[in-house]
Amino acid sequence: MPSILVLSGSPSATSRTAALAEHLALRLRERDHRVRTIRVRELPPAALLSGDTRDPAVAEVVEAVAAADGVVVASPVYKAAYSGLLKSLLDLLPQFALAGKAVLPVVTGGSPAHVLAVDYALRPVLSALGAHHVVQGWFVLDSHIVAVGDAVELAEGARRPLYEVVDGFSDVLHARRPLIDAS
Amino acid sequence: MTTRSLAVLSAGLSVPSSTRVLADRLAAATARALAERGVEVETHHVELRELAHDVTNSVLTGFPTGGLREAVNRVVGADGLIAVTPIFTASYSGLFKSFVDVLEPGALTGKPVLLGATAGSARHSLAVDHAMRPLFAHLRTLTVPTAVFAASEDWDNSTDERSLLHRIDRAAAEFAGLLDRSAPASGTGELDDFVPFDQLIARG
Repeated sequence: MPSILVLSGSPSATSRTAALAEHLALRLRERDHRVRTIRVRELPPAALLSGDTRDPAVAEVVEAVAAADGVVVASPVYKAAYSGLLKSLLDLLPQFALAGKAVLPVVTGGSPAHVLAVDYALRPVLSALGAHHVVQGWFVLDSHIVAVGDAVELAEGARRPLYEVVDGFSDVLHARRPLIDAS
Repeated sequence: MTTRSLAVLSAGLSVPSSTRVLADRLAAATARALAERGVEVETHHVELRELAHDVTNSVLTGFPTGGLREAVNRVVGADGLIAVTPIFTASYSGLFKSFVDVLEPGALTGKPVLLGATAGSARHSLAVDHAMRPLFAHLRTLTVPTAVFAASEDWDNSTDERSLLHRIDRAAAEFAGLLDRSAPASGTGELDDFVPFDQLIARG
């Protein structure tokens, strides 16, 4: 069962990005993955911004990244790019922390004018971390993420394209697994 | 003699920091270039490492607190900004981006900005132009055409045309030109230097 780590990089306590990340985690569990979600905002801020990898909570996340077969990296758009908070976590990972992994970039934002943040801001960072395969990413409009109780639903019309991307990511991980087992 | 205020933002994590050294050299070269134009410079340094705690708090709460508030006012109120970050994973650091995230929309619009970056090798030189420059395009700053990237091997004090010293001087000359031509910043981000309209009119 290919394992997936979902990182959500919104600093907000009531974050659409984090809620969407949980929603995607449910979808991926249904598709036979072991999934864990991590909110960067819950890590010790001082350790995060000073790049202190000796901090136990930070070290544990670094290990979790190393152990995962696939990583979902989710961020809100701030100033036309990923959040500084998400970048703080990515900064303290080892140089090729995503080597051998499939990675799904997901970005949320208020305006479709920032769709390119997925491919022009986030994707190069994931490539620099040595990701083996950064699959097609997706940009989700804030207004398409609708709160339903503690969880979220996706607006009609926003659901299908996002699920196609998420399912494609899942397919890549399932297809890769036998090759890894055989080696 | 006219005076221009300069904020020098540096996001290095270590002490001593090559990022801070580059920021200092850019500031000194800018002061020299402006002096040649008969313009004096008042420089204020903002060292983000010292403000990391406040930066985190404000990112999580949405409000700049403590020393960060003063730093934001310095940056917003300055006539020009030198912004220098270490390059991690082919982009600006998380601390640098977190500071930018805290700024109000439009806070830096029209401000002359000189970009600088440091890294362990030249392999990620393009990060200045593919990551930093688009960020400042979003902030609608007047960004100097020459940005200065300094890899570890650049700190050799050579003075040929491709050397770091030469690039610093070229960038500073361009920056000085922008600062000299642009109007001084309108305020400090606060209302403490607010001039009532009747007094403005009285000045002619």
